Amino acid sequence: MRSKFLVVLSLVLLFVLTVNTVNGVGAEKKLRVAFIYVGPIGDYGWSHAHEMARQSLIKKLPWVEFLPPAESVPEADVIRFIDRFVREEKADVIFTTSFGYMDATIEAGKKYPDKIFFHCSGYSRSKNVGTYFAELYQIYYLNGLMAGALTKTNKVGYVGAHPIPEVIRHINAFALGVQEVNPKATVDVRWLFSWYDPSKARMAAESLISDGCDVLAFTEDSPTVVTVGEEYTKKGKPVYTFGHYSPMQKYGPNSCVSGQLVHWEVIYRDILEKIRRKVYTNTNLENVDYWWLLKEKAVELGGEFGVPINPKFIPALKDKKITDPVFGKISVYDLVMKRLSQMKANPEKFDPFTGPIKDQTGKVRIEAGRRASHDELWNMDWFVSNVIAKIPK
Amino acid sequence: MLKRYKNIGLSFLVIFLGLFAIYLVSSVRPDIMFRSIALSAFGSIYGLTETLTKSIPLMLCGLGLSLSFRSSVWNIGAEGQLLMGAVGATWIALYIMPNAPKFLLIPAMFLVGAICGGMWALIPAVLKVKFNLNEIIVSLMLNYIAIEFVNYLVYGPWKSPYEWGFPYSTKFPESAQLPRILDTRVHYPTLILALILAVILYIILYRSKLGYEIRVIGDSIDAARYAGLDIHRVVFLVLLLGGGLAGLAGVGEVAGIHHRLRVASGISSGYGYTAVIVAWLGRLNPLLIVLVSFLFGGLLVGGDAIQVSLGLPGSTINFINGLILIFVLVQGFSKTRFSTIKRRGGK
Repeated sequence: MRSKFLVVLSLVLLFVLTVNTVNGVGAEKKLRVAFIYVGPIGDYGWSHAHEMARQSLIKKLPWVEFLPPAESVPEADVIRFIDRFVREEKADVIFTTSFGYMDATIEAGKKYPDKIFFHCSGYSRSKNVGTYFAELYQIYYLNGLMAGALTKTNKVGYVGAHPIPEVIRHINAFALGVQEVNPKATVDVRWLFSWYDPSKARMAAESLISDGCDVLAFTEDSPTVVTVGEEYTKKGKPVYTFGHYSPMQKYGPNSCVSGQLVHWEVIYRDILEKIRRKVYTNTNLENVDYWWLLKEKAVELGGEFGVPINPKFIPALKDKKITDPVFGKISVYDLVMKRLSQMKANPEKFDPFTGPIKDQTGKVRIEAGRRASHDELWNMDWFVSNVIAKIPK
Repeated sequence: MLKRYKNIGLSFLVIFLGLFAIYLVSSVRPDIMFRSIALSAFGSIYGLTETLTKSIPLMLCGLGLSLSFRSSVWNIGAEGQLLMGAVGATWIALYIMPNAPKFLLIPAMFLVGAICGGMWALIPAVLKVKFNLNEIIVSLMLNYIAIEFVNYLVYGPWKSPYEWGFPYSTKFPESAQLPRILDTRVHYPTLILALILAVILYIILYRSKLGYEIRVIGDSIDAARYAGLDIHRVVFLVLLLGGGLAGLAGVGEVAGIHHRLRVASGISSGYGYTAVIVAWLGRLNPLLIVLVSFLFGGLLVGGDAIQVSLGLPGSTINFINGLILIFVLVQGFSKTRFSTIKRRGGK
C-alpha cells in the first residue's frame, strides 16, 4: 500500500516537474519586434541594409517573433504605423529607422509607456525610447585615402543626400582622407535634398564628372553613382566610385574601388539580447545611445562583404607612395590597412577627426592633438579646408 | 448612353484585373484585403479617429478644388497651397506673435495660412487671365516651388538652433498647438471649420449668384460669355477661395499634428493630389465631398493595415488608389458629358 502510494507520488511529482519544465521552456513569451522603414526595401541602400539585418536575425534569435516590416512609411504617417503595430500586432519592441520619425517615436513612447522603442539616428530619448546608429565616418576617411591616391585630375566629387550634420561629417572625413595623401586635391559636392532619388543622383554625378571629377563618393540609397562610374570607365574615361551602405561592387566591377558597409544586425542583436535579459526595460533607456563604429564591428570597409578593396585597384594603391610623419615612406595600400587596424583597436589608436583641422575659412576648428567630441561630430555644420562646395544655409 | 455603360464596364474590368494581379503576386484574396482595409479604418474607435484625422486635409483641399473644377478651372496646385498655408501658420506662430494668447494666435494662424494659400493660387489665376497661360501647368509647377521653398526654410533661415542641425523649425509654443480629442490625433477645430465651410460652400454653389456663375462658366464658357458674365472675376475668386481652403488644411497639419514646420514630405503625404480624386468622387458637391473624404481617409488608413497585418508591399495601396483614379477618370468624363446633355434637354 505504502509502496503503491510512493510510486503514485513519485509519478505525480515527475509529471508536475516535467510539465513545469516544459512550461518553463515554452513559457518564454516570444518578443514581438517590428521594424518601420522610410524607403522601399528594394532601395538597395538604407532600408535594404536594415531589412538584411532583420532577415539575418530571424534564424539566429528564435525567441524573437519578427513581424512583417512596414516599408515606404511617410514621415507624416509613422505614428499610425506605430499605433497599429502596438494595438493590433501586439509588438513589444519597435525600431523606427529614419531621423524624420523622431518626434513621432518620442510621442509613441509617451503613449505606450510599457513598450520599448528604438529610434535610429536621432538624439531625443526618453525612459522607453533609446537611440542607435552605425557610424561610417571612419570608413569614409579610409575611402578618402584611396580617392586621393587614385584621382588624376585632383578633383574628387561627392553626391550628398541632405546637408545635415551626418552627411557633412561623412564628407569631411572623406575629404580629410583625400587631403592626407593628396594635399592638392579638392572635394566638390552636389546636393540632392533626398535620400533616394536615382535620377537626381545620376544628374549630380554627371555634373561632377563634367567639372573634371574622376573619383566619386556619395550618400544616396541606390547604386546609381556606381553605375554611372562604370559606364564612364567602360567608355574609356575612368571614373572611380565608392559603394554606399550595401554591397555595390557588382554594379561597377571596373569602377567601384571600395565602399562603406553596415552590419545593423550587430546592433539589433545586442539591443534585443539586452531586452531579453532585462538589461534594457521600458524605464531605463533615457541614456541608451548606440554610436557604433569599426571597433564594435558595426561597420565594414569594402564594396563587397569580406573584400575591403577591389583587387583591381590594389596595384595602383601599392604603387602610390606618400611620406607619413609616423610611418615614413608608405604606400597608400599599406596606409589604409594600418589605419583600418588602428581604428579597429579598442580603444581606437587613431581618429580621422584629430586636430589640427581647419575649416574653409582657415579657422582652426579642432586644435592640434585633440579629437573631436561626440557633440562636435553630431553638430558639424562646417566643411574642412579642401572642400570647395558650400553648405546651403 | 451606350458609350457610358461601355466606359463603366471598362473601368470595372480594369479594377478587377488589377485586383486579380495583386492576388496573383501576393496570393492575398481581394475580399480579405478589403475586409482588412475596412476593419482597420472603420472597425474600431482608434481606426475611426485616424480616418477622421486623415480626412481633414482631404476635405479642405477637396472642397477648395471642387469650386474651381465646377467652373472648369483646373487647379492641380492644392499640394503647394497647403504647404504655403503651413508656412504662413509657422511664420505667425514662431516669428510674428509667439507670445500671443491662444485665442488670438490660433485664429491668426488660420487667417494668415488661408491668405498664403490663396495668394499662392492667385499666381496661376493672374497668369491665366493676363497671359492666357494654362493653369494646370502653372499650378502643378508651383507645387514643386512650394516644396522647395518649405525645404529651403527648414534647412535655412527657419532651421531651429535646438535640433542639432536637423531640418526642423523650432517647436510651436503651446498656445499655437490645436487641441485634440483626448489622446487621438483629431484636431477638432480644423474639422469643425471644414464642416462649416462645406455647408457655406454648398450654399454659395447652389443658392447664390456667384455659385450660379460658377456653374454656368463650368458648363459652357461660351454661354457665360454670351450672358455677359465676368469670367475673369470668377476665375480669380474660385482660385483664391480654393487656395485659401488648402491653406487652412496646411495650418491644421502643422498646428494640429506636427507642431512645427518640417520638410515638405513630412507635412503632407500628397493630400493635395489625393484631394483631386476626392473632389471628383464627390461629384464636386461640397456635402458629398465631406463624405467621400471620410471614406478616402479610411482607404489611406486601411492601406497601412494591409502592409502590417497581411504583409503586402507598401506600394499596394498606391496601386489601388491608381485603380480608383482610373475609375473616376473614366466615370467622370462620361458623366460630365452625359449630365450636360441631360441638363440641356431637361431644363
